[in-house]
Amino acid sequence: MLSRSAAGLYWMGRYLERASHLSRLLRQQTESLADSPPRDIYFGWHRIYGALDREPLSGALELDSDDLFALVDSFALADDLTFEPTNPDSIRSCFAQGRENARQMRHHISAEMWTCLNQSHLRLQDMEMQDIWVRSPENFYAETAAEIDTFRGVTSSTLYRDDAWHFVQLGNYIEKVQLSASLLMAQIAAVHLFEVPADAYWTSLLRHYYAFEAYNRASSAAIESDRVLGLLVTNPQLPDSLSLSVSQLCNELAAIGPGPDTEATARTRSQAEYLRQLVGIEWPGGADGQALLERIDDGCRQLHHLVTKTYFDYPVLAPDHGRADRHDQ
Amino acid sequence: MNFDSYDLDPAVFDEMFGADGTPHPHCRDLHDTLGSMSSADLGAIGEWVTRSFTNEGITFTVYGDDEETERIIPIDSVPRVMSAGEWADLTAGLKQRLSALNRFLEDIYGEARIIADGVIPADMVRGCPQYRLEMRGFRAPHGVWVAVCGTDLVRTNNGFRVLEDNLRVPSGVSYMLAIRKATKSAHRLLYRLSRVRDIENYGLILARTLRELAPEGRSDPTMALLTPGIYNSAFYEHMFLARQIGADLVEGRDLLVEDGYVYMRTTSGLKRIDVIYRRVDDDFLDPLVFRPDSLLGVPGLLHAARLGNVSVVNTPGTGVADDKSVYAYVPDMIRYYLDTEPLIQNVETYLCRRPDDLEYTLDNLEHLVVKRVGESGGYGMLIGPHSTPEERNEFAALLRADPADYISQPTLALSRAPCLIEGRLEPRHVDLRPFILTGAETRIVPGAFCRIALRRGSLVVNSSQGGGGKDFWVLDD
Repeated sequence: MLSRSAAGLYWMGRYLERASHLSRLLRQQTESLADSPPRDIYFGWHRIYGALDREPLSGALELDSDDLFALVDSFALADDLTFEPTNPDSIRSCFAQGRENARQMRHHISAEMWTCLNQSHLRLQDMEMQDIWVRSPENFYAETAAEIDTFRGVTSSTLYRDDAWHFVQLGNYIEKVQLSASLLMAQIAAVHLFEVPADAYWTSLLRHYYAFEAYNRASSAAIESDRVLGLLVTNPQLPDSLSLSVSQLCNELAAIGPGPDTEATARTRSQAEYLRQLVGIEWPGGADGQALLERIDDGCRQLHHLVTKTYFDYPVLAPDHGRADRHDQ
Repeated sequence: MNFDSYDLDPAVFDEMFGADGTPHPHCRDLHDTLGSMSSADLGAIGEWVTRSFTNEGITFTVYGDDEETERIIPIDSVPRVMSAGEWADLTAGLKQRLSALNRFLEDIYGEARIIADGVIPADMVRGCPQYRLEMRGFRAPHGVWVAVCGTDLVRTNNGFRVLEDNLRVPSGVSYMLAIRKATKSAHRLLYRLSRVRDIENYGLILARTLRELAPEGRSDPTMALLTPGIYNSAFYEHMFLARQIGADLVEGRDLLVEDGYVYMRTTSGLKRIDVIYRRVDDDFLDPLVFRPDSLLGVPGLLHAARLGNVSVVNTPGTGVADDKSVYAYVPDMIRYYLDTEPLIQNVETYLCRRPDDLEYTLDNLEHLVVKRVGESGGYGMLIGPHSTPEERNEFAALLRADPADYISQPTLALSRAPCLIEGRLEPRHVDLRPFILTGAETRIVPGAFCRIALRRGSLVVNSSQGGGGKDFWVLDD
């Protein structure tokens, strides 16, 4: 497959996963606005901004115990993460970039995928925060996440299982692992900052990963941070766990086949295996747990770099030394 | 829905009605169907067609428009209909014309007999900006310089006329296919009853044509469609066609030339390309030969083509044959190369390089259409009857300063077809761009991109200037 096309599909997968992740986080956050105390609301914003490694447009977050201020702040913060045009990671920006990648690669995706994505993009294009805030912001985020899920379903139903599929999936899983590692680190940091290890902070994390029921099934004990983190990182049966995401990432990489440079291909696959080992060990907890997440995060960034150098942006060898002739008849 | 307020003008051919106000025989079904529909029904169909284009992102890009680069072409849901007999006559004329044009290109970049024999002035050919000296002696595969041609036709009360030949990178075929898909779905029953000839196999025929032009010995050629990229106005079409013909959609940066072969960069290494359907203008194709500042092309591409290791379709240098001045000589080319009379006439053309023609043009500016030779897309032209005295004065000065850069033609009464305008059926001027494909043989799908001048009285059909499109049905016998 053309390298630029593969890169476009890979990034489409990444941007849509980013939009999905943020939509789910914001859904949960806006749901909490109805009845949570201001402290919990600010905790949620800290966690989200920490995970994105971003500072709000209005400056650093400060805890305000006034309900009204918490709501006003929340409007501005949600707007920053949803529609702010200068924020490349806002939901609308991610959609626009995912859709732009799809537009450039339309000949590689199905017509149904394109129509599905384009309709979502058109819906978002003219919206403003005020439009969704006066009604039900949580419904808006739920619908947005559902639209991405629909797109994935359409992709799964209509896209031929060639390299186009594998690069979309690879982008999706690399983004998922990186976002999850960042979110878990942000969760730990926010809990330390707020100094109140409230169960609610951990149950909301479990709910974000659709893992609350799984946690209850696996553990009869009360909510414990290390048990939660252990489940989210190492459980191979949980759909959004780091363990399963890394495993799927490795499968996609194996399906793609070798790049033009054997050594580069080997390094990329080794890096993926290294990640698999990291998420396969028992959750160590405490400072070691934090260090493990940092390694996963860093390892995932390295993997992205290696994928880019192996498949998209490799140094060109003269055809006689490369593998061009294998296509000739 | 009725045609009570439909305004027939005896000076203008109407695609649905004869001069006596009754529908042409082949239009009766469409006429009766439209008559049985309410304005609301027809409006709903129009909205549905437009919405389907919006949802599917069937767009074109407007240059210099910072606010909105992607636009939806306005679609009229009322098809234009043609009988099988009329279409057969047209296709014969189109094939004849393209055959002569290919012979002309092979000749002028070779022996140049047509110049030596005094049929066409040497300076008109060699002084044309689209004449590419670098292509002298080039051997196009099978002598096919133009494999994909989009000929603009207009109809008057005196029959069809060729307005221009688009021989470089003609566009619009994706709209032909997309409009058909939407209109067919909107007028399902009428479509079935009318026995409309199918055009869906255009992609297969294009792919077959390109394969036929592959370098010798490449029986299963790798094909690529070379696009300038997403900011090109026709990017949607490039993507659409790449998909239709099973080619990779590549940009110049995806390709490289090594040892006289063209390769594309794939995830598994370099892969040789045999046929490039290029949608990049000559100027930007190869910075080693044409514009050195081009970032859109591939250094060394022309060298590889000259070696016969890759086929570039259409061949660079074809623009000289669709130059607006050279156009005036196409009937002579047909007589010269094919020893027969043209089946489709040209529009009468005054070459302002000739003193008499210049004088006539200056004296009749208010009646003529004046076109700059090197412009396209409806730009750089004066439509005399719709112009102001100031605009005519401005053009007169331009003509005197560089007469060879202009031609003029009488203002044609382009035919009109019924269009749904604000809930009513009103006539609007239309043209027709069929697509002619030449590989080992010449083939034409029975369809065309029918462009509409949506503004009342306007003759400008270009999508970049407010024009729209509608489906064009060729009926079976």
